[in-house]
Amino acid sequence: MALGTMALIGGGAQVIGGLFGMSSAKKRAEAAAKEKRRLQRKLTNLENNRQEIINPYDGIQDLSSLISNPFANLSVATGAAEMKIEEADISLANTLDTMRATGASAGGATALAQAALRSKKGVAASIEAQEKTNEDKRAAGEQALQQQKMAEAQRLQQADVAGEQFMFSTRESREMQQLDRTAAMLGASRAAEGQAQSDRTGALTGMLGGIASTAGAYIAAKS
Amino acid sequence: MENQNLLQNIFLKQFNESNAIAYNRNFVANPSDYNFQLLDNAYRFAGKYYAQIKIAIESNKCQSEDCAFELSQLKRLQEAPKASLDFLASLIAELNTTDEPNFDPNNNYKYTAANSIMMARPGFSKNDGYEVYLDLMQDGSQQIEFRGPVFKKKELVPFQDELVEIDIDDPLIINSASLNALTSSETSLVVSTPDINASMLKLLPDTGLFLQEMINENKELGSNAKISEEFVMKNSDGSFDYEIVDLGNGKGRNVLKYDMKKINQKVSPFVNAEVAGLMGSEQDVVAAWNVYISKDTSVTEDDQMVQNANAAGSSWLYERDLPLSPDKKEIFGIKYKEYFMNNYLNEFTKNQIPTVKEDAAVFDLAEAKKAEAQKFLDDNNLN
Repeated sequence: MALGTMALIGGGAQVIGGLFGMSSAKKRAEAAAKEKRRLQRKLTNLENNRQEIINPYDGIQDLSSLISNPFANLSVATGAAEMKIEEADISLANTLDTMRATGASAGGATALAQAALRSKKGVAASIEAQEKTNEDKRAAGEQALQQQKMAEAQRLQQADVAGEQFMFSTRESREMQQLDRTAAMLGASRAAEGQAQSDRTGALTGMLGGIASTAGAYIAAKS
Repeated sequence: MENQNLLQNIFLKQFNESNAIAYNRNFVANPSDYNFQLLDNAYRFAGKYYAQIKIAIESNKCQSEDCAFELSQLKRLQEAPKASLDFLASLIAELNTTDEPNFDPNNNYKYTAANSIMMARPGFSKNDGYEVYLDLMQDGSQQIEFRGPVFKKKELVPFQDELVEIDIDDPLIINSASLNALTSSETSLVVSTPDINASMLKLLPDTGLFLQEMINENKELGSNAKISEEFVMKNSDGSFDYEIVDLGNGKGRNVLKYDMKKINQKVSPFVNAEVAGLMGSEQDVVAAWNVYISKDTSVTEDDQMVQNANAAGSSWLYERDLPLSPDKKEIFGIKYKEYFMNNYLNEFTKNQIPTVKEDAAVFDLAEAKKAEAQKFLDDNNLN
C-alpha cells in the first residue's frame, strides 16, 4: 500500500510515512474531541434529569399541640361533701325536733350543734385535702407536659438537623461524583487530544524535510 | 441516489474484500499505473512562479502597488507545502472511515472509491481510467479532484428526436478550506458509525441494576454478574416468585421473574443520557440508526448481514434527513432503548436460575402443578 500510495502522492517515503502518521493522529484527535463532547452532553443530561434530593424528615409534624396535662382540670369531689353536710344538717334538724318534742334541755341542743359544726369542718378539711392533692397532680402533670413538649421540640430539631445532614451529604456526594467524573473525563479527553496533536506535529516535522525535495525548485529559489 | 449509494458501497466493499481481481485475466495481464504524482504535479510550475515573484519583489518590478499581491502570493506559496500535507492527511483520515467494518453504506459511495484510489487498490489505477489532481488555488486553498469510471453520472440528452441516456463526468471535488471548516466544527465528510457495542457494555454497569461488587475496577461487569435482588419478583411472604420452564420429558425448573417495570424505570434515565450524548452529532445518530438500531441488528452479526438488513427502506439519508426532525429523534430514543433491552439486558433477565439452592433443582412438572393447586386450596381455605 505504501509504495503505491507513494507513487500516487509523490514526495518520497518520508512524506508518505509522515502523511499516514499525521492522518491517523488527526483521526484520533477528532475521535477524542467527539467523545469528549458526547460525554459532556451525557453528563449534562444526567445532571439535569436526576431526581431531586428529598429530605426524608420533611414530613415530620410538630405533635406538641396534641400533648396536654391530664391533671389540668381535675375537679374536687364536692358532691359527697355537700351530701355529708346536708346529712349533718338533716340529722341536726331531726334531733332538734325530737328534743323539742321530748322537752330536752338547751344544753343538749348546743352539744348537738357543735357536733354538726365539727362534722362540717371535717368535710371542709376533706375538700381542702382533695384540692391540695389535685394541685400536686396538676403541677406534676404540668412538669410532665413541659418535658414531653421539650422532647417533641428536640425530636423536631434533630429531624431538621438529620434532614439537612442527609441532604448535604447526598448533594456533596453527588457533586463529588460529578466533579470526579468530569475531571477524569476531561483529563482523559485532553490527554488523548494532546497526544494526537503531538503525534501530528511530530509527523509534520518529519515530512517537511521530505517535501523539500518535491517542491525543491521553488524552495531553492527562495533561498 | 440512496439506492445507488447502498449498492455501490456494498459492491466496492465486496470487490475490495473478495480478491476477485486476482482472477481477472485482463487485470493480471496489464500493468497498473498508480503514478498519479499528486504533489509533483501540483508543484510542477510552483518553483518557476515563486522565483518570478521573488525576483519581482527584490528588483522592485511588482505589478501591484507596494507589491501587495506579490507578497501575498509569496506567502501562499511558502505555506502551500505544509497546507498540502495537512489537507492530504485530513482527507486520508476522512476517506479511511470507509474501511471501517461497521461503515454505513448510505454514505456517498464516491468517498469509498476515492479511498480505494488513495490506497492504490487494484482496479483503481490510471490504467483503469482513474485520475487524481491536486490544485493550488489563488485564494490559498487547495483542491483535490477524483475522476474515473465511478465518478460519472447518467444524464438524458436529446439525440435524433429521442432522449438517450449517457454517462457524463461527475468528478468528486473536495476543497481544503471546506474540509477544514467541516472538521473544525466536528463534522465528518464520511461518518464513522459509533461503537454501539462499547457504549452499551459501558451503560450496563451504569444503570444501577447490578451490585457494586459485580463491577470490576475497569467499570465493567464481572462474568458472574446478576441483577440485584431488589428487581426480582417476590411473593408477599418474601419468597421468590418463580416462573416454571418446561425442560421436556415431564421435567421443569424454576427461573427468576424480574420486575420489568421497575427495571425500565431504573434504566430509562441512563439510556436517555446515552441518547442525549449521541445526539451531539446527528450524523452519528443516522449511522447508528442505519447500521444497528432501525433493524435491531445485533453487533454479533457479520457486516454483510448488517448491510443487507439495512439495505431496505428503513434507512435514513444524510442528505435528506439531517438535521433530524423531533419525531425521528424520539423514534431513535425509543428504539435505542429497545435495542439495549433486547441485546444487552435480556441475557440478565432470561432463564436466570434461582439463588436459593433447593429451588434451583429440576423437578417433576406434574407434581409441581399438583403442589401448586394444593397451595392455592390451602391459602384460600378451600379444603
